[in-house]
Amino acid sequence: MAVDKMPQSGAKKTMSDGVEILWFNIDDVIYGIEIEYINEIIGIDKTTVIPNIPDYIKGVINIRGKVVPVISIRKRFGVEEVPYDDRTCIIVLEFDGGLQQVGVIVDRVQEVVVVDHDLITQTPQYQNVNANRYIKNIIENGTDEAKLLLDCEKLIWE
Amino acid sequence: MAKFEAGMESMIEMFIYETTGLIEQLDNILMNTEASSSFEEDDINAIFRIMHTIKGSAAMMGLEALSKFAHGIEDMFYVIREEKPVINDFTALINLLLQASDIMKNEMEVIQDDNADASDLSEQIKHIEDYAASVKAGGTEAPAAPSQEDPVAPVPAPVSAPAPTPEPVKAAAPVVQEQSSDNELTIVKVYFDDDCKMENLRAFQVVENIQADCEKLEYIPSDIETNSESAKIIIENGFIIKFTAASDISTKAVIAEIADTPNVKSYEVMTEIPGIAAGEPVSIRVFFEEDCKMENLRALLVINNIQYQCTELEYIPSDIESNSESCKAIIENGFTINFSADDPEAVIKTVETTPNVASYEILAAENSLSPAIQPVPKTQTTPEVPKMDIQSTPAAEQTVPASLSAAEKDAIGTTKAVEKLNNQIGKSSSGASNKQSLISVNLNKLDTLLDLVGEIVITEAMVTSNPDLKGMKLDNFQKAARQLRKLNSELQDTVMSIRMVPLSGAFNKMTRIVRDMKVKLNKDVDLIFEGEETEVDKSIIDQLNDPLMHMVRNSMDHGIEDSVEKRIAAGKPAKGKITLAAYNASGEVIITITDDGEGLDAQKILAKAENQGILTKPANEYTDKEIYHLIMLPGFSTNDVVTEFSGRGVGMDVVRQNIEKIGGSVSVDSKFGYGSVFTIKIPLSLSIVDGMEISVGDSIFTIPINSIKESFKVRPNQLVKDTSGREMIMIRGEVHPLIRLYDLYGLESKYTDLNDGIVIHVEADGRFACMFADELIGEQQVVVKPWAQLLNNFGVKSHGMTGCSILGDGSITIILDVATIIGGTN
Repeated sequence: MAVDKMPQSGAKKTMSDGVEILWFNIDDVIYGIEIEYINEIIGIDKTTVIPNIPDYIKGVINIRGKVVPVISIRKRFGVEEVPYDDRTCIIVLEFDGGLQQVGVIVDRVQEVVVVDHDLITQTPQYQNVNANRYIKNIIENGTDEAKLLLDCEKLIWE
Repeated sequence: MAKFEAGMESMIEMFIYETTGLIEQLDNILMNTEASSSFEEDDINAIFRIMHTIKGSAAMMGLEALSKFAHGIEDMFYVIREEKPVINDFTALINLLLQASDIMKNEMEVIQDDNADASDLSEQIKHIEDYAASVKAGGTEAPAAPSQEDPVAPVPAPVSAPAPTPEPVKAAAPVVQEQSSDNELTIVKVYFDDDCKMENLRAFQVVENIQADCEKLEYIPSDIETNSESAKIIIENGFIIKFTAASDISTKAVIAEIADTPNVKSYEVMTEIPGIAAGEPVSIRVFFEEDCKMENLRALLVINNIQYQCTELEYIPSDIESNSESCKAIIENGFTINFSADDPEAVIKTVETTPNVASYEILAAENSLSPAIQPVPKTQTTPEVPKMDIQSTPAAEQTVPASLSAAEKDAIGTTKAVEKLNNQIGKSSSGASNKQSLISVNLNKLDTLLDLVGEIVITEAMVTSNPDLKGMKLDNFQKAARQLRKLNSELQDTVMSIRMVPLSGAFNKMTRIVRDMKVKLNKDVDLIFEGEETEVDKSIIDQLNDPLMHMVRNSMDHGIEDSVEKRIAAGKPAKGKITLAAYNASGEVIITITDDGEGLDAQKILAKAENQGILTKPANEYTDKEIYHLIMLPGFSTNDVVTEFSGRGVGMDVVRQNIEKIGGSVSVDSKFGYGSVFTIKIPLSLSIVDGMEISVGDSIFTIPINSIKESFKVRPNQLVKDTSGREMIMIRGEVHPLIRLYDLYGLESKYTDLNDGIVIHVEADGRFACMFADELIGEQQVVVKPWAQLLNNFGVKSHGMTGCSILGDGSITIILDVATIIGGTN
């Protein structure tokens, strides 16, 4: 009695058995978010301020009738905020199988790249102390500078 | 976990939903019959049907014990229905059935619990069987084998039962076959005049003409009254009628009647159909009940059931196990099985008894995959085919009554007859569709729909008040926009109304509770419903069951006097009365639970509360109403003895909490010696609030209208300060604390001078305050959206923000909770 088996949640595996990661910039540092957490990427929108909450939560926005809280990743990392421009965007993350959505304001997004498991190293010890808390892995591709893979669960919920 | 085969999980939810509904229905029927102390025929049929359905679906889920259990009761009702035994101890029977309903309810819970194994119900089954045997034995006045004396008895189900459904017919089918009669089964093949058109309707008329004279009547094709395509089959193969004439009419007379029907060109009488020979390949096409869902799995069940009886077996579509898309093919074309077996009849029997099989037909053995029906009655049609015929026609058989028998004698013009037939058919098909007019929908889908509608309303505002249109003369556009707005608001109302459910379901559950308590507490009480058709949002109803149950139990246990003597001494009727009433009042639903019992003893409550140390002011300052409200405080119970039903001091406290959770309130009133009234006020819907929009700087807040007393501009002499410098506003001689919203929430505001902005006088839970904001924007109904988890983690609710909502222009407003804000500032 086999019904269609829905794909189980978990990192989306590609054929090369790597992890798909979206890269974005904060100043010169490149951070990554696993694509399994990402629902969509939208342009920056006017946020409605919610009083009496930590200031890294910029407020809420209306995404097609859903009220979604938005955080500033710069504030979260303790980096000075910059004015929004036309490349500023919101990466909408989802948790709990889509029940919970949270937007993350970033300066600009770059691209989605499949990263081989072998390139992901475990021990992150890196510059920005504040951001360090939210880093899960470092990805070294041998040639240029290392990229930092963020731990979305920690970034949002801790 | 191993209770179900892999892949069944998704069906469990549906099964539990359906079965729970059926059990509730059973309870209701039992309550009614107990009140009237007799089984109506309708009731017996209904119970029979319920048990049959439970039996079938339990078997499909692999719950053998439950299936057998239901079968036991079904059997018992079969006896009751067919033999009409004299039931000596009616109460015992009702008790037994109520127990059975409890057992099944319990089973439902066991099924949902992954860790528990399905119960072994063999003892209960035996109990039921014993009882059924005693019913049989006790009913000596009923003929032991009524079918011999009264051959019509088993047949009425399809013809005269008020709402025959497939199930009873199916169950009765074997009886029909065994039934003896003077007249033999006759098969007649009828041909109609060439080019007479609408052969199917002519055929239908033939059926109508002879129906009254036939004890048993089947025909091929069977869907003549619904399927105009059947006309072609009739032209090609003729219209085959199989009947057994009624005992008082000769077979010949019936045949003559057929021949006399207008447009009948010729007919031939054929001999009895031989059965299918052993080992011969047989092809049958199976159709499942409409809306039974997952037809591919049902088909697989059929295959599983018959595979050991068959020597050869193949089926189409063949990928039922792996491809859920095959459902569609099965719905459209049926599920075709080709098999060879030593005992083909037995295989067909198995197919027939598999749950959810609505009908089947036997196709030509050689040309098995041809979709055309092969009614050549040589080897292919078997006596089982009638099952399908009877099932698909009852509606027509009922609704085409005497009117046609008059027509038949008139030998009216065919056009007229056909017209009439068409009317009848129209009636019968609309009658049949009544049954299907209810569907169950996942609440999540309705939530999504509601969201979407909200979104459309916002988009509409974005389009019609688009800044690009400013200054343009747009007469036609405005007209169209108005129409759009009207339709949108209608759409919104409809979506809201979909979510509304009558309270009767919640009320009916109380009948059972009162009934059980009546027996246990030995109190005689009438439970009366008023306004149970009042509708409330589904999400609220779900929260209402527990509080209602507690309150009804309380009224039974504490309210109604312990003894009849006490009641009579107090000048009341011996029988107590509890009334559950519901009505709408200004956007709220009010439910009252009234009993004519002892009433609340204010002095006793006060003394008890004092003992428990829950008084907050001197005892003599309490008004009666305040005293009554003490019973809703945690840990309070007036009952000296803890009983099974109440007295643990959690009841009313829990009631109050549950009701408040859904945004409602509870109050009590009572007259000592005369009874008490509990009043529950709940909002119509959790999700819509009538609110006043106000602005503070860039932020927009919504204050629920029902907490606003008034709004006004402050005159300088109204502002006073207390000794600690707190600002108060004097309104008609009373002072109320002033809350500057920009201060409270640390916002930039347009005005800080009281004279510039506006003051809103608010009230919640009997406490007042004045809120200072920049401007009033306007009154609007808003759809409440709960806060995201992330924001709840930071306690937005404790800061007086209940939720948020999206306004027409897409911006977000924060809904304020006045009670929390006043509580926080004091």
